[in-house]
Amino acid sequence: MNPLSNRRYAFFFMFAFIGVIFVVRIFSLQVLDEGNYKRAVNNALKKITIYPSRGIIYDRHGKLLVYNGPVYDLIVFPGELKGIDTGGLCTLLHMDRREFDKKLEQARIKARTQRRRDNSFNKSATFLPNLPLADYTRIQENLYRYKGFYLEQKTDRLYGNEAAAHLVGYIGEVTEKMLAQDAYYKNGDLAGITGIERGYEKYLRGKKGVRTVLQDRFYTEKGSAEGGRFDSSALAGPDIYCSIDLSLQQFGEQLLQGRIGSIVAIEPSTGEILALINKPDYRPDLLIGPNRNRHFQELITNPGKPLYNRAIRGVYPPGSTFKPVIALIARQEEVLSPATTHGCAGGYHMGSLTVGCHPHFSPTNLAQSLAISCNAYYCQVFRDIIDNPNYGNVRNGWSRLETYLRSFGLGSRLGMDIPGEVSGNIPTLSYLDKRHGNKWRSSTIISLAIGQGEILLTPLQMANVATIIANRGFYYTPHAIHGIGTQMFKPESLRTLHRTMVDTVYFESIIEGMADVMQPGGTAWASAISSIPMCGKTGTSQNPHGEDHSLFIGFAPRINPKIAIAVVVENAGYGATWAAPIATLMMEHYLKGSQAATEAPHLLKKLNVVPETHADSTQQKKP
Amino acid sequence: MPTARNRKNLNPKLDFIAVMLFSVLVLFGFLNIYSASSGTQPVFQLSMKQVYTKQLIWMAGAFLLIVLVAFSNPNFFEFTGYIFYGITVVLCLAVLFVGRKVSGAQSWFGFGGIGIQPSEFAKFGTALALAKFLGTYGVRFKGWKNIGISLAIFLIPMAIVLKQNDTGSALVFLSFFLVLYREGLPGYFLLGAVWLGILAVLTIVLLAYKLSLITWIVIPLTGIALLLLYLFRKSRFWMGIIVGFVLFSWVFTRLVSFTYKTVLYDYQRDRIEIILGLKKDDKGVGFNLIQSKIAIGAGRWTGRGFLEGTQTKMGFVPEQHTDFIFCTIGEEWGFAGVLLFLAVYLGLLFRLVMLAERQTTNFGRVLGYSVTSILFFHLCINIGMTIGLVPIIGIPLPFVSFGGSSLWAFTLLLFTFLKVDERRLSYA
Repeated sequence: MNPLSNRRYAFFFMFAFIGVIFVVRIFSLQVLDEGNYKRAVNNALKKITIYPSRGIIYDRHGKLLVYNGPVYDLIVFPGELKGIDTGGLCTLLHMDRREFDKKLEQARIKARTQRRRDNSFNKSATFLPNLPLADYTRIQENLYRYKGFYLEQKTDRLYGNEAAAHLVGYIGEVTEKMLAQDAYYKNGDLAGITGIERGYEKYLRGKKGVRTVLQDRFYTEKGSAEGGRFDSSALAGPDIYCSIDLSLQQFGEQLLQGRIGSIVAIEPSTGEILALINKPDYRPDLLIGPNRNRHFQELITNPGKPLYNRAIRGVYPPGSTFKPVIALIARQEEVLSPATTHGCAGGYHMGSLTVGCHPHFSPTNLAQSLAISCNAYYCQVFRDIIDNPNYGNVRNGWSRLETYLRSFGLGSRLGMDIPGEVSGNIPTLSYLDKRHGNKWRSSTIISLAIGQGEILLTPLQMANVATIIANRGFYYTPHAIHGIGTQMFKPESLRTLHRTMVDTVYFESIIEGMADVMQPGGTAWASAISSIPMCGKTGTSQNPHGEDHSLFIGFAPRINPKIAIAVVVENAGYGATWAAPIATLMMEHYLKGSQAATEAPHLLKKLNVVPETHADSTQQKKP
Repeated sequence: MPTARNRKNLNPKLDFIAVMLFSVLVLFGFLNIYSASSGTQPVFQLSMKQVYTKQLIWMAGAFLLIVLVAFSNPNFFEFTGYIFYGITVVLCLAVLFVGRKVSGAQSWFGFGGIGIQPSEFAKFGTALALAKFLGTYGVRFKGWKNIGISLAIFLIPMAIVLKQNDTGSALVFLSFFLVLYREGLPGYFLLGAVWLGILAVLTIVLLAYKLSLITWIVIPLTGIALLLLYLFRKSRFWMGIIVGFVLFSWVFTRLVSFTYKTVLYDYQRDRIEIILGLKKDDKGVGFNLIQSKIAIGAGRWTGRGFLEGTQTKMGFVPEQHTDFIFCTIGEEWGFAGVLLFLAVYLGLLFRLVMLAERQTTNFGRVLGYSVTSILFFHLCINIGMTIGLVPIIGIPLPFVSFGGSSLWAFTLLLFTFLKVDERRLSYA
């Protein structure tokens, strides 16, 4: 016998060896690891989402702003489709065969990706999202014939009132980005995109429920999986009481109608936003229902930018409304006293440099300088601050001033609770170096003294400055909610007090001047409402794009203020002309209550607004 | 001259045990193909749209082949060995130019709706040719020339199949080394192969972790080599072997590193890294493997029952009825079914070795070992990949997976050998 014949035993050994390895491995997969069986059962589960009702939004007094109506998603489990009557279904859904096939293919792909994402848990995909009730009724009656298709109910928004579109925001289909970031969402879900809807999405959306159905290989439902252990019911999102006063909001929208600009009103003692108005704006009910995408396209391409939330995204030079801030800082720095006087000869002159001023008596003290808004006075005060010999040089002086300004919440986002806020601009040293070279002096940047030049504020920041003065030195981060749910919960961050670097004692002298603004001889005297002690400051902001912006900041009443306000009317000229009467009417409206008639019908007339009770405003806002 | 003992064999038959085991595998395979391909609402229908109907036709074709082989003259295969080999090699070449691409591999001839994969038949041709060469009078597996020719016989088709981008089928040709081992290839070649395997895995692990090959392979090897050189300093022969071994290991490592970095495709690298546990990817490339393991694991002791596997029927496992048919077996028949199945399969292999050893001609023996080695290789790779022991390489499970080319080629291979085995009796 051939000795090589013994090598057959090597073959026998290999077979046995591999056999043992396989058996051990398979034994561990099948018998030792129970997880695989569970995973296989899990794979075969069908999950049907139960959508919660989204939290309802009220104004601060409980008036209804936003509520819910049902919409329906037609979903498909591609694996279950078999021999359905496509023609009939196309007729039912009002679509042609090509569109149907295209949508089905997309749904297949979506289901597959979803399946991989969840490691093959959920196998459905949205076929037709956001169907209105009428379609639902028609489809539901016939759907039993088409195995694999189901209707899921979810909620879309309905508007009890068209006011405050920018503050409330809108919802829409989740974006790819949101899908990627948050596993809560699935394709076709509706979620907050802007405003409170976005800022409080995590509350408003509630919690989806799920019905988990065990299936056998025929996709026949075999009841709840494991006695309903995986099931959960949907949890409605808590209602939100937003901070606005609906009546004030509507009044303000009426006052600003036909103009371009913003009004922001804040309750000083809490930081709650009483009104946030932008014009142009849009009707929120355009962005719901099956046509939301078409309407959105129209709005986004509208040259009037109706979707633009200029109250928190628009930036303007604050102009003379900045003077109280400069004065406050100078008082804290002890380079200014209420009795300090400076002369004004038609402006501020320094070598070849002139900052113009309007004709008025001279010299003025602090209160007078605010009342008549003297430019020369503030150029001098500004130089006293930054050229203070204690700081050695102008760079240190500016740094000091910049630190003060930042303590007023300027030059960075205030951290409001709705998204999209911008920071505005307070120039840093390096910014000034870049702009003016290293050799700049106080005279180079003198226009900053009167709120022109590189300083940019959002209307929200201006309103916050008014709030700080009203509070004599502190503010809460401005926010859009009064409370969440029945407990009126408010996050800690919104209840944190921010103190500026100017002490309370220094405020009264500036407030005196701001009260004088509303007195005879003051710049806003024409807009004063005599029964209410108001404080304010007009501003006229030069801008390179056209006519000056008309600005006003103020608060009322002087003692224990209840409302602080900023008004910006773009390209409208002097602050006293448009912004001031809008502001005083707003404050009056808020303090006297919505039903009270105004004492100053001449102002309404000037603004071309027909007096009426605003609670039942029926005017149509056009985008 | 027929002896009394053999007289009753004057009417010889194909080996009964092998034929029975073969039949069990094919029929059992069909059951599983039916389950895997009939979807969630199986209604048996003889429509050409159904995968299992096609398999029935392949099975009928396979039966015809068996009849043809059974009634042919066994000498025919020995005489036509080279011719058949030539034809299959040429077909493999031709498919490179006129073939159809199926999942990246240019290895199919398309005739209408039917595809023929010549590389499956090339295994048969190669087995015949190698058997004929080593069975030629006076040829032994010795001397550079004969060893060279033997290697060339299967390395040439292997290279062509590799060129078709069908890595799996190409690797199968390596199983002929097992045949050569039986024919006298020194055992240390196989030990060497094991060493190279270890070295290759080590290299890939080091590359994946971006560790230095010099620090982890060259320095330790050199250290050991220096120690050995000191111990064997009296023997020039051993010193030469040691130096050669170290140098060869190093060159091989470089070669693996080069292949791994520049020759392999990303997906191949991924599959290897997943198997070596270097990469976790449950959603992408690893998805197939995870689902395959879940399917098998779901079977537990006794399986979920014929046609009851949800993994199988809901399409979680890819290539369910072809390369991953073992998942269906695992899920629906459980550990008990798997044990029986492996027993039948390994039983067939044992039986074939026994048959090969009783051959009186070198041709018969080499052919027998070729059949055994090819089947064994397929079994290891195919089941190994479904249970996560080897990288996912797409080769079928012979007799069980769906597919005409593979069923026919393996049937031809097996029954040619059984026919040759039958002839042995008439010579005795």
